[in-house]
Amino acid sequence: MSRLSFSALALAAFAFVLPAQAVEPVTVFAAASMTDALNKAGEAYKAEAGPEIRFSFASSSTLAKQIEQGAPADLFISAAENWMDYLAERDLIVKESRAALVSNGLVLVAPEASALKVDAISSATDLPGMLGAEGRLAVGDPDHVPAGAYAKDALTSLGLWSGVEPRLARADNVRAALAQVARGEVPLGIVYSTDAADQAGVKVLATFPPSSHKPISYPVAIVKGRDSAEAKAFLGWLKGAKGMAILQEFGFIVAP
Amino acid sequence: MLSLTQVEVDALLLSLRIAAVAVLLSLPLAFACAYLLARGRFPGRLLLDGLVHLPLVLPPVVMGYLLLVLFGTKGPIGGWLLETFNFRLIFNWTGAALAAGIVTFPFQVRAIRLALEAIDPGLEVAAETLGAGWFDRLLGITLPLSLPGVVAGAITAFAAALGEFGAIITFVSNIPGETRTLPLAIYTALQSPGGEQAAARLAALSIILALAGLLLSEIVARRLRRRMGR
Repeated sequence: MSRLSFSALALAAFAFVLPAQAVEPVTVFAAASMTDALNKAGEAYKAEAGPEIRFSFASSSTLAKQIEQGAPADLFISAAENWMDYLAERDLIVKESRAALVSNGLVLVAPEASALKVDAISSATDLPGMLGAEGRLAVGDPDHVPAGAYAKDALTSLGLWSGVEPRLARADNVRAALAQVARGEVPLGIVYSTDAADQAGVKVLATFPPSSHKPISYPVAIVKGRDSAEAKAFLGWLKGAKGMAILQEFGFIVAP
Repeated sequence: MLSLTQVEVDALLLSLRIAAVAVLLSLPLAFACAYLLARGRFPGRLLLDGLVHLPLVLPPVVMGYLLLVLFGTKGPIGGWLLETFNFRLIFNWTGAALAAGIVTFPFQVRAIRLALEAIDPGLEVAAETLGAGWFDRLLGITLPLSLPGVVAGAITAFAAALGEFGAIITFVSNIPGETRTLPLAIYTALQSPGGEQAAARLAALSIILALAGLLLSEIVARRLRRRMGR
């Protein structure tokens, strides 16, 4: 092609390379269980003329470790206090910004088509019996996933842990455990009540008594060195009436 | 010197077992595919070539997902296995072996195919003119002459199977003692607070095993070639 048209083409290509962005998007690392709720919140915030919010959803353990390694997160929402403490100890969050966002419940779930029934979960519940000879109980890995840790907590306080420990199917995050139940690969699973609420193919058998586990708390904080005006604005909006309304819609328990 | 905890030794032995089963059971099929690709002239040969090499370029997670869909208890093959033999691949080390076997299949096929193509076709033609049937030629000429390639391919595939992660964790999940191989154990250790030490030990062990596997593969191949006077 001629020299002129080639230069014109190259110049045009450059136009696509340089992004036209006046405002940096806000990057939020959040626990996997908040995926649907936060995606909706992000859309609502953007519609209100806020900047774009970029989310990365994974287990709180994975995210905390990534932030420790310098991942470019502005906000961190954990599903458990211990992973927020982990970052606080390493001086990686803005301590004044730390707050409790919402709470959640823990439920025992089964595939939609399951014939299993439980009236109430107590120390008399025969979980190994319900699993049958080959079935496994899907949970987040109790070694590091908050949902798994709460599950272990609850099962231990009810005296059911030793019976099911060898029968666990440990997932990387609570959503993966939920997916295994939805696919019918496992007869039972333990997930958050918010996960079970909106998931097709999964039904709640019973809720774990709140007294059987540590209160499920989702702390939020701004990552150290990333407290831009946009990050603070989004955090404020999320903690405000509109943000909380969206989270409540998905079943998260809002502190009064 | 590396001193391993019991959990880590379990992961090591499980890895070795899964990789060994994966390679040994896929060897006959790999040889058959390599033979067809090297010698055969049939419509669809190109497609077979593509399918055999698909695991090389497909993301392992996609491979794991496909296995889940086909061999999970609700899948067509997995469901049949469950009904007929009460046999379950998911959440089981056998599923991990299947995943590892499929992902390392191309390594074996390539190595065997190269070995087959390197055989002087004149030898087989001579045998044919002397009255040797197809099977005799296979056993007497093709197999022995391609042995260095077969063994090298198997050992390479073994070393690769030791390192398979994405397909295994997606298909059979991460169950200690059952499917938690070395790579999965390293991944778990990295996720847990204070697990960096364990992760480093396991990673060092993996490197040693992988290197040993590759070196062994090369040494064996050379020895066999020398024995055959080439």
